[in-house]
Amino acid sequence: MKWLIAQFWRRRISILVLLAMAGLWQILSTIYTAEAVPGEPMVPGWQIVFSRTLLSLSDYWRGGLNVPSVAEGAPQSYLAALLSILDHSVDTIVRLYVGLLMGAIVGTLLGMAVSWSRWTRRIVDLPVQFLRTLPLLAMVPMFQLWFGIDFVGKIAFVGYGVGVIFFAGVVNAVKNVPQIYIDNARTLGASRLQIYRTVVLPAIFPEMRGTILLSLGIGWAAVLGAEYLGAQSGLGYIIIYSEQFAYLDRMFVVALIFVFYASISYAIFDRLSRLLLRWTPQAGRVVAHG
Amino acid sequence: MARAAGGRDVIVASKLSRTFRRADKQTVTALDDVTFGIDPGQFVCLVGPSGCGKSTLLKLIAGLMLPSAGTLEVEGESVTQPGPERGMVFQQDSVFPWLRVIDNVEYGLKCRGVGRAERRRSAEFYLERVGLSHVARAWPRELSGGMLKRVAVATVFANGANVLLLDEPFGAVDYVTKRNLHDVLLALWTEAGSDERRTVVFVTHDVDEALILADRILVMHSGRIVDDLAVTAPRPRTTDGLMEPTMVRHKHVLLAHLGLEDAKGAAEAPAGARADP
Ligand SMILES: Nc1ncnc2c1ncn2[C@@H]1O[C@H](COP(=O)(O)OP(=O)(O)OP(=O)(O)O)[C@@H](O)[C@H]1O
Ligand SMILES: [Mg+2]
Repeated sequence: MKWLIAQFWRRRISILVLLAMAGLWQILSTIYTAEAVPGEPMVPGWQIVFSRTLLSLSDYWRGGLNVPSVAEGAPQSYLAALLSILDHSVDTIVRLYVGLLMGAIVGTLLGMAVSWSRWTRRIVDLPVQFLRTLPLLAMVPMFQLWFGIDFVGKIAFVGYGVGVIFFAGVVNAVKNVPQIYIDNARTLGASRLQIYRTVVLPAIFPEMRGTILLSLGIGWAAVLGAEYLGAQSGLGYIIIYSEQFAYLDRMFVVALIFVFYASISYAIFDRLSRLLLRWTPQAGRVVAHG
Repeated sequence: MARAAGGRDVIVASKLSRTFRRADKQTVTALDDVTFGIDPGQFVCLVGPSGCGKSTLLKLIAGLMLPSAGTLEVEGESVTQPGPERGMVFQQDSVFPWLRVIDNVEYGLKCRGVGRAERRRSAEFYLERVGLSHVARAWPRELSGGMLKRVAVATVFANGANVLLLDEPFGAVDYVTKRNLHDVLLALWTEAGSDERRTVVFVTHDVDEALILADRILVMHSGRIVDDLAVTAPRPRTTDGLMEPTMVRHKHVLLAHLGLEDAKGAAEAPAGARADP
């Protein structure tokens, strides 16, 4: 508890700014009262968001756990709303992270293949550079048709979006690995595979941090893009469904949920990478004291 | 050359050349038609002015680059790639910053599949010898430049190479520590292995360092070996020993080659102390 208070106190400025933003939103909602369709304000105020909107999310509850769904004739309830948020979130998050992981692994392997040998470079480099330039969102429908609208299609799409970013990041980062470390490993008797595992991988990680953060963002965008088309569940599905009825308030809530998840994943990654980067001279650096 | 390439030599270079093409399209000859042989167990110092090709020669022996012309054999085999039997301490920092000190020292052994307990024992032994036991668990960024060089030396010794290529390993170390490390290095050299001494090629700018350490000093200039001195003074050598007449004459010769004195001192050197140029 003391710790929590300390944390809040340490971030008091940032928290105040956040509260000010929320306040501005509220002011905007009272000044700008236009409606998308009758009864659906363009800028839903917090009083709507935390009552009607939250409750309305129970529309997406698919039933089960002895909590009847709206489709089965039950009235809207906060419990069903909460369950439906969790249910759809799990779907989206599983798609996101399975795709992210596969994209990261394949992208990294392909990126390393570019420097592995002259032959692997010839085989990999140009084709992947070509794939990289294909516009991501334009590929959504193709992926749906190739891989289906179910799980595989979505993780393939997320994996593709993340994979090409990892590829570019790895190719670039490997170029910047100081030759001296590779030479040192070679004279100590390391094989090529060992050099990649014990020298290249740790040496590129600091530079890959930016790539990984970027790919987290792209991953979220890609999983939503995939869910806009033909998904039967997931947060993206709620957004696209709401759009048909101009339920701006619901879209707004889902967007907030996204912000929440994204913040958590950034925070976790930050912790993790700080642990992995304890060795860097920059660990805990400040440019100037004060 | 004093030592013609005989069958017994552990390192044999013959008409060895290496040129670089710089980015400005100029061709640099870093090594120019170098021929020499080095006996097994010999401690050879390589001295010469900056840019004369010392590091290039070491990298060729290590197998990190290939000659432009000529041949180079180590232990009877043509050098085509690096191998753990030729250990190298680089002129620049080469300690992996992402591994703790002790893990750096163990690195080569781990790569070759030596068991955990055994490689830890070996790493601890050599860290202790270079006086760094107390920083075994530290990150390299927490060490000074001289300490990093000692880690590199310990790593190469722990790896058990037969041929040690040391490129100015103690250039960044203070005088007292340097003297202690000379003792450590010589002790490791003489007791190394059960069968035989290791062969050492040691690059330095420091004439006194060369005289204290070497059996033999190769002097380089502009990519060529211009002199080959046999240093026969008994060991252990002391700073007082450097005052002995033969040592003083060697020093004059070396300084003359480095351009610090005019060649008078060199001319006075007795023929016996020099090999034919
Ligand atoms: N990779 C390279 N590309 C181009 N030129 C190089 C390269 N490496 C070395 N040279 C050139 O070769 C020559 C010899 O370099 P080398 O590093 O062997 O000198 P050195 O004797 O070790 O000098 P120092 O005592 O300063 O370390 C220099 O003129 C240098 O410019
Ligand atoms: Mg050098």
